[in-house]
Amino acid sequence: MVSVTIKNLTKTYGTTVAVKDLNLKIKDGEFFIFLGPSGCGKTTTLLCIAGLIKPDKGDLWLGNELVTSAERDIYVTPQKREVAMVFQDYAIYPHMTVFKNIAFPLEVRGEDKHEIVERVTTTAKLLGISQLLDRKPRQLSGGQRQRVALGRAIVRKPKVFLLDEPLANLDAKLRVKTRTELKKLQLELDVTTIYVTHDQVEAMTMADRIMVQKDGIAEQIGTPHELYNHPANLFVAGFIGSPEMNFTDCTLIKEGKRLWLDAKEFKILMPVEVVPKLKSYVGEDLIMGIRPEDLYERESIKEGTQKNAFRITVDVIEPVGPYLLLHLRKGCLSLVARVKHTRARIGQEVSIEMDRSKIHIFDKKTTKAIL
Amino acid sequence: MFTKDKMVALIFFLPSLVLVGYFVYACIGWNVVVSLSDWKGLTPSYNIVGFDQYLSLFQDPVFLTSLTNNLILISLFVPGSLFLGLFLAILLDLKVRWEGVFRAIYLLPFALSFVITATLWLWMYQRDVGVINTLLEKIGLGFLKSGWITDPNIALYCVVLAIIWQFAGYTMLIFLAGIRSISESQIRAAEVDGASGFYLYRRVVIPQLKAPALSAFVVLMVFALKAFDFIFVLTGGGPAYRTYVLALMMFRETFSMNHFAYGAAIATILFLLALVIVVPYLYLSFRREAE
Amino acid sequence: MRIPKLRRVTLYILLVFLAFLFLLPLWTNITTSFKTLKDVTYTTPIEPPLTPTTEPLITAFNIMQRPLLNSLTFTVASTILSCLLGSINGYILTKIRFKGSNIVFLFFTIGIFIPYQAILVPLVLTISKLGLYNHVGGLILTHTAYGIPITTLLFRNFYALIPDSVIMAAKTDGAGTWTIYRRIVLPLSLLPFVVAGVFQFTSIWNDFLFGVALARGPWSMPASVALANLKGTTTVMWNLLMAGTLWYALPVLVIYLVLAKYLMRGFMAGAVKG
Repeated sequence: MVSVTIKNLTKTYGTTVAVKDLNLKIKDGEFFIFLGPSGCGKTTTLLCIAGLIKPDKGDLWLGNELVTSAERDIYVTPQKREVAMVFQDYAIYPHMTVFKNIAFPLEVRGEDKHEIVERVTTTAKLLGISQLLDRKPRQLSGGQRQRVALGRAIVRKPKVFLLDEPLANLDAKLRVKTRTELKKLQLELDVTTIYVTHDQVEAMTMADRIMVQKDGIAEQIGTPHELYNHPANLFVAGFIGSPEMNFTDCTLIKEGKRLWLDAKEFKILMPVEVVPKLKSYVGEDLIMGIRPEDLYERESIKEGTQKNAFRITVDVIEPVGPYLLLHLRKGCLSLVARVKHTRARIGQEVSIEMDRSKIHIFDKKTTKAIL
Repeated sequence: MFTKDKMVALIFFLPSLVLVGYFVYACIGWNVVVSLSDWKGLTPSYNIVGFDQYLSLFQDPVFLTSLTNNLILISLFVPGSLFLGLFLAILLDLKVRWEGVFRAIYLLPFALSFVITATLWLWMYQRDVGVINTLLEKIGLGFLKSGWITDPNIALYCVVLAIIWQFAGYTMLIFLAGIRSISESQIRAAEVDGASGFYLYRRVVIPQLKAPALSAFVVLMVFALKAFDFIFVLTGGGPAYRTYVLALMMFRETFSMNHFAYGAAIATILFLLALVIVVPYLYLSFRREAE
Repeated sequence: MRIPKLRRVTLYILLVFLAFLFLLPLWTNITTSFKTLKDVTYTTPIEPPLTPTTEPLITAFNIMQRPLLNSLTFTVASTILSCLLGSINGYILTKIRFKGSNIVFLFFTIGIFIPYQAILVPLVLTISKLGLYNHVGGLILTHTAYGIPITTLLFRNFYALIPDSVIMAAKTDGAGTWTIYRRIVLPLSLLPFVVAGVFQFTSIWNDFLFGVALARGPWSMPASVALANLKGTTTVMWNLLMAGTLWYALPVLVIYLVLAKYLMRGFMAGAVKG
C-alpha cells in the first residue's frame, strides 16, 4: 500500500496529445478515480502507472521508488512493479481454469504450491466464486468473469490496484450491486486504488477523491463534495451531476452598491456577501450555472417583483423515480428544475425560485469559476 | 416447401452440385470399383475380383517402401513445418519493423508451384555446380559436400527439407493470425502479473494456438499424403525407390505401366488415409461452429 | 516491449538470415537465368553473371511460349467460372434457408481435402470420353469442377457476415432471390472475388498433376508440364532450366507482389476456424 506520485506526465500519439503535463499525488490507501469522457487520457495515465506504456515526458513514483522517468531513462517493467490491474474486458486467460487464472501471478513468481492453493481458495471465497474454480472462462457469465479478474489482481496483495472501467460491460443492475461490493472490498484490503471510469455517478459514489480529465488535461482534482459544490470550471460543472447543471449566458449589472445578474429572461439580485468577489466582472460576458435541484417551484408571483424568482413556461414534465423534472422554456432560455410535485401543466407558466447561495458563475472566455 | 424462390435457388445450385457430385463423389466411387477389378493394360476391364489388388499391394515391397517413406515424410515434415512456422510467427509478432516485408519473403515459396520449387532445389542440390555444394566449398566447409538427392541415405531428408522450406510460410501465417487473435489486454494482464518473454509465450500464448495448429496440421498431413508434383520433378522417386511415395507409385502404375486396377487400389488407400485425418477434424470444427 | 531482454539487434540479424535462406533459391534462379553455360560452370550460383546474357531467357520463352499461353487460357477461364459458381453457392448456402444446407456445405467442403489420386483414373476416362483429352477445354472443365469446393467455402464465409437484416429489408422491398443476389450481394463481393480469384489463379496455374495426366500433348500442355519436360531433356543446361522456371513463376510473382495480402487471406480460409 503506497502512494502514487505523478509529475509532468506527458504522452503523445502521433499528433494527438493523450496526456498533457499531469501532476498528481494519490495518497496511501486512497480510492482515487480518474473521471472523464472517452479519449480524455484516463486509461493512458493508468497504463503509464502500470508500466505498460512509456510516457514521453515526466516522472512516476510508487511510494518512494522512482519507477518511470522519461528524462532520466529510468523504467521499471510492469512485471516488477507490484501493481495489479483489472482490464475493461477482464482479459482472463481462456485456456486456463478459474483456479489457474487466479493462481497465475503466484505461479509466475514461483511461490510454494501449498501457499498458492491456500491463497487462491481464500481469494475465491472472498469474492464468492469458490464453486467456479474448476470451470473455464467460456462457461462463466460476465459478472463471474469480472470476479475472476478481480481475484487474479488481489491474490498478489499488490501495492497499487488499478481498474480500467471494470463495470462497463455489466448490465445496469449488476453494476450498481458490484459498485458497493468493490468499495467494500477496497476498504477491507486497504490498498491504494486507482479506478478509471466515464460514469460520474460511479465516481461520485465510490471515490475518496476524483480527478476530472478532458483531452489529456486535469480539469479539477478534489473530493466528490468539492467537485459537486465547487466546480472549478464549466466542464467539471457540466460533467458532474445528473441531471446536468443548467447554464445560461449572463452579465452583471451594478445598481448602487448591489449587483444584479442579468440573464435576459430573468434578473437575480446577488447577495451582499458576494459583491466584492464579483465587482471586477461587471459588464463581462459570463455564464451562470444552477443545478436543477436548486430551482424551486413557488406560488404564483408577479413577474419582475422578486429578487430571486421569475415566471417561465413548462415544456415537458418528466417523471424520474421520486422526482419530477420540469423542462422549462422562455424565449431562448431552457432550464430543468427538479421538484417533488408540481401544480403546473404543460404549456402553463410557473414561478421558479433560485437558491442564490448555489449559483455558480463562470467567465465565458476562460470558463473558470468565479463564484 | 418448394416455393418459387427455392426453385430458383435449386437451378443456380445445379451446375455446382452436378460437377462436384460427379467429379468428386462419383469418380471416387468409380475408382473404388476399378480397384476391385482386374483391369490391366489399355483395354478397360471391369471383372470384379474382390480385394485381390489390395492383397498384392500389401505384399509388394515397392508399396511397403512407399508407405514407409510417406510415414517418414509425415513424421518429419509436419512437426518440422509447424515448429518452424511457429518460430517465425513468434519472431514476427515481436513488433518488428518491416514485418510485412519479412512476412512476404517467408511466405513466397508457398505461393510458388511445386514444379518450380522442385526445379529450384534441383539446382540447390546439384552435386557438381549446385548452390549448396559450391557455397559449402566457398566457406571452407567443403567436407560437408554431398550427393544430396543422389545419395540414397539422405535423399528423403533432402526432400523433407525442401518441402519444409515451402510450407513454413504457410504455417507461419496461420500461427501469426492465431497469435494476433489474442487480445492485447490479455498480454498486458500477463505482463502485470509478472510474466515476460519466453514464460509469457509458453503459458499464455502458445496454449491458445491449439486451434490454428490443428487446422494447419490437417492441411499438412493431407499434403504429405498426396505429395506428388514435387517428388516427381525433384527425384522421380529415386535413387532406388528411396524417395518413392504412394502418390508417385500410383501415378507410375497407372499411367506408365497401365496397371489401372492396381493404381486405383493405391489411390483408394490414399483416400481412406485422408478421410481418417479429415473427417474427425471437419466434425470437430462443424460442431464448434454450431456452438 | 514484450521481450525487453533480447536485444533487438539479434532479432533483426536472425530475421535477415532467415530471409536470406528463404530467398536463396530464388536469387540463384534469377542470376542463373542470365548466365552463359560457361558462367554457370565457373561462377558460384550466388554471384551475378560475368557476361550477362538474355539468351537462356529467349530460348526458354520460345520453348514455353505455347504452354504458357495454354496455362493462361485455362487458368483464367477456370478461375472465373469457379469463382462465379462459388459465389452463387455461397449466397445460396448463407442467405437461403433450407433444410440440409449444412450437409450440402459439408458435401462441398470434403471436396477440398480429397487427394486427387482418388479420382484421377475416372477423370482421365471421363475427359477422354468427352473428347477433351489433350485439350485445353479438358483442363478448364477439370479445374472448374475441383475449384468449386474452395471457392464455395471462401464465399460462404464471407457472405455469412452480411447481416440477414439487409436481405430481409430487400425482401420487404419486393426483391426476389436473383435480384437480391445481383443488386445487393454481388456488389458487396469485390473482396471475396479478389481473394478467391487470386487463390484460384495461383492454385490452377501451379497445378501439375492434372496437367500431366490430361494434357501431355505439345499443343495443349500447361506450362508446369513444359517446365518438367525441360528438366528432363536439358539435364545439364541449368541456365535454360532456370530461365524457364522464371517465366513460369512470373505471373504468380507479379500477383504476389501486388496482391499478397489477398492471397494470404485465401490461404487462411479453411484454417483459423473454430
